[in-house]
Amino acid sequence: MDWLLVFTLIASALRATTPLLFAALGGLFSERGGIVNIALEGIIIFGALAAAIATQLVEAPYLASDPNASVWFAPWIGVLAAMVCGGFVGWLHAFISIRYKADQIISGTAINLMAIGLPAVILKGMYDNTSTSKPVVNRLPEVGPEFAAGTFQFSPLVFLAFILVPIVWFVLFKTPFGLRLRSVGEHPEAAESVGINVRRMRYYGVILSGVLGGLAGAYLSIGNLNQFISEMSGGRGFIALAALIFGKWHPIGVLGATLLFGAFQSAATLLGGGNLLPSTIVESIPFILTMLVLAGFIGRAVAPKAIGKPYEK
Amino acid sequence: MKFRGERIAIGGIAAFALLSLFISPWAALSREIGAKSAVLVLPNNILDFTGRTESIILPNAVTILALSCVLLAVMALAGFVRQKGLRSVLWLLSGIALLVLTFWGLQGFQQSVATARSTALGVVAQAAIEKPRKNTDVEAVQVAFDALGTIPIAESAEALKAAGVRVRRLPYDNSGFALASFLAIITSILAIFFSLRLFKVTSSLIDSIIQRAAVPATSIILAFAAAGIVVLALQPTPVGTNVEISGFFPYIAGRLDTLWYAYLTLLSYSLGTVGGFLEALKFATPLIFTGLAVALSFRSGLFNIGAPGQMVLGAIFAMFVGIYLPGPKFFVLPIAVIAAALGGALWGGLAGWLKARFGANEVINTILLNYIAASLLLFLISSQHNFASAAFRALIAFAVLIAVAMLLSLIPAMRRFFTAAPRRNMAILGLVFLTVFLVSAWPRPTDGTITVNLPFKTSGSESKSIPLSESARFDHLPKVLGIDLSENPGTNIIPVNYGIVFAPLIALLVFLFFPFRRMGNLIRIVISLGVGAIVYLALFFFGLTAFATAIPPTTLNFSFILAILAAIFVYYFLWRTKWGYELRAVGLSPLAAEYAGAKLSRNMILAMALSGGLAGLTACHYVLGGTLGDYSLRISLPTNDGFDGIAVALLGYNTPLGVVLAAFLFGVLKNGGSVLNITFPELTRDVVDMVVALVVLFIAAKGFLPERITNPKLRAANLEDDLKDDLKNNIVEDKAQTKDEEQR
Repeated sequence: MDWLLVFTLIASALRATTPLLFAALGGLFSERGGIVNIALEGIIIFGALAAAIATQLVEAPYLASDPNASVWFAPWIGVLAAMVCGGFVGWLHAFISIRYKADQIISGTAINLMAIGLPAVILKGMYDNTSTSKPVVNRLPEVGPEFAAGTFQFSPLVFLAFILVPIVWFVLFKTPFGLRLRSVGEHPEAAESVGINVRRMRYYGVILSGVLGGLAGAYLSIGNLNQFISEMSGGRGFIALAALIFGKWHPIGVLGATLLFGAFQSAATLLGGGNLLPSTIVESIPFILTMLVLAGFIGRAVAPKAIGKPYEK
Repeated sequence: MKFRGERIAIGGIAAFALLSLFISPWAALSREIGAKSAVLVLPNNILDFTGRTESIILPNAVTILALSCVLLAVMALAGFVRQKGLRSVLWLLSGIALLVLTFWGLQGFQQSVATARSTALGVVAQAAIEKPRKNTDVEAVQVAFDALGTIPIAESAEALKAAGVRVRRLPYDNSGFALASFLAIITSILAIFFSLRLFKVTSSLIDSIIQRAAVPATSIILAFAAAGIVVLALQPTPVGTNVEISGFFPYIAGRLDTLWYAYLTLLSYSLGTVGGFLEALKFATPLIFTGLAVALSFRSGLFNIGAPGQMVLGAIFAMFVGIYLPGPKFFVLPIAVIAAALGGALWGGLAGWLKARFGANEVINTILLNYIAASLLLFLISSQHNFASAAFRALIAFAVLIAVAMLLSLIPAMRRFFTAAPRRNMAILGLVFLTVFLVSAWPRPTDGTITVNLPFKTSGSESKSIPLSESARFDHLPKVLGIDLSENPGTNIIPVNYGIVFAPLIALLVFLFFPFRRMGNLIRIVISLGVGAIVYLALFFFGLTAFATAIPPTTLNFSFILAILAAIFVYYFLWRTKWGYELRAVGLSPLAAEYAGAKLSRNMILAMALSGGLAGLTACHYVLGGTLGDYSLRISLPTNDGFDGIAVALLGYNTPLGVVLAAFLFGVLKNGGSVLNITFPELTRDVVDMVVALVVLFIAAKGFLPERITNPKLRAANLEDDLKDDLKNNIVEDKAQTKDEEQR
């Protein structure tokens, strides 16, 4: 057996898992608080766009003198921008669906629709091109052990994603904040009666999910690649939602589900490289498997009780 | 009703219009390529951004400015008047006066532009007479010169050109009204509209219009405002060479003019020209289908985001029928249409079935199905595919296995056997699949690469199918109406029979909406047909059955009529049949409907299948109608129409009529988007996508309006309070009267 091939497979599965994991953990905060966050797809796209643009803008003055200048902080400012931007889009979703009691799926769909048109308009204004941003020179570094010919060198965001799993578990299940958030998603009236501010908790949940979705976007644009490409999320937000359902709204379950879907995706990518199957069939495999998984397992998962319902005082 | 909204609205708009009189252009002298313009700010302050337009004096500019100011101030201040009567009269009078004044001023402006143009043309003509070139016909030039000003300017220019004079672009092209005059007109129309509160009948009419239009109208206005911010941020005021904008006032005026012209560009081509109007209808056709699809699913309590995937499946099915089914047109076309609907229904119904059978969320499943459909389309019509033999065998084996399983599940006895012990059977099924996979995919010594060439794909690298057979193509609409445009590719002036369109339409409307109380269907049909016949006769009498009309070339095809028919079908199905009633009941309250005997699972599948079928019908437009370029399926199938359908359905309140109107609006915007793309160097058509998304967002937020307007229950409560107050007052008055009488 060729061990290098196995390592490459595992590493690429971990890479494919990262954005799904970020987005799914984000979705966890939002849905445990009772707000369906179908806007994750759009949030990822906006995060990716913000990261690419911010990095490009920060490094631009340094590149003017030296076209290969190394600006170590530029991608990190990009990551920060993605988090802020994702958080803002999350806030927008929360504002529409909490303050105005909108149908959460419609509000999320609107944000996803906006993620088709608005990036094109912004890119046209900044780079005179409607589908890609200017490639950045300083993308996120790759760190990791010198092992197996460097296949295990990852972007720091990959590590962050996996470290976040126990943190999210701790926050959700061992802190007062987590308890309040979950109570708001299960039974808002009861939560209100013990003095928890339902709306505020829900805002926190959705904004947090936006921040994490933004991180997923940042990983796609300046971690995995070096530029923004329109619709680069390619359905990851939706697969993350499916993983959330499959993982029964629990961080550990979500980790397992995203690893599974990440493995599907990386397997599909690797299959597409050879002459085994046409790439069009390969690309649809993760989606077909996701559907099968949802049809087979969803009946036994229990969603937060108050999910999708606007809270009326 | 204690409703102060309109007073604030009129006051605000009037104040805004008043401000705009001083800072924004009132009329445009000329607009050149690249959106460069020369504009006029009252009173006669010419700002020239083109750098080569000569000034024109607007007669009575000071009078117009002063009077407009006074009238707008009256309108704004009338908002503070408490008495309804006085306020309405003030609004009515000032509105009419401002309207007349503005149109009078614009007419004067157009006249001075026309004069300036003919003067400019006269200069050219005179130069040609004094220094004729070789091929100039001096006498004809003289004739044209003498006729200047008496005939339309375009004709003079044509005459001069015919006489051999080189006429460059005429100056003062595209002159017209601008932001300030537009705001004045809108303000007066609004003031007149609300002044109709004077009468009880029109007052209740206004109330019902506000009820229905408040949320969509506010959402559209807000979306446009947001788009305006984007326009201002991205597009600097276009200027000609050697022109610099200096100073605060020209800067502001330039910005406002850019904004205004961007809006005008979005709307004017579709609403101002016949060709543009037809083009907008063409854009609207698929949106009607997808809008109806989403609306139908909303009505039955489901959310179909899968219209893009259903569109693809419909297109694939229609393509197969269109390419392979032989026969005459009247046989092939209906079958192709049915196939398109079936394809969409299959994809939608699948999501419905997954929800009904396994409880899988239809929102996520329809989204996943979109991606699968996109891959399927790419697989079918992109260039050749290489399989490893083993993988190919495995795929074929799986396909056969799944087909067998589906066939078996149709037999009731088998189904009972399988559902009896699901776990054991799942295990058996898994083992069967594994065995098949291992047997089929085990490498064999003769293995090589299998190249699949699908026969319906065009040769070459382009991703499209071969063209459909002649008998599977929809005619263009003019041909349907009996107009043959094939001889002359340009604009034709042709007698058009409007009776064919309007008489059946009116008959249908009478059939559907006329209040026949307790009459049989036969009588209804007879009366409707009679009315239709009378309408046709009337049109014939006025010569409208053969009315000379300028028809530009258009690819608008029969599917537009099909879309209207689909809207009528949806209305009839949802509101006039048992099944539709059940569907709506399930949508409003699933548990109550189930208690009353509705089967939830069956309704779910039916609703999703119908919805998918409607989305699949877009294939009539894109494939059978040949709108993608030629009559074939291409990879450029704009599946985003499926998402836009969500916006259309929401904007149209999920009613068929609303959907048709909203689809037309978006058709206009999409059409305008292409013009915007050409006109403004820094803007793209994606601005329109953004507007559509924002409309959905704002409608979801109910236009950010206060709840007492948007929530029907609260509104009813408010009305009730008012009534109670009225009653109380009446009682108090009555008591006072009786007291008076007693005292006497």
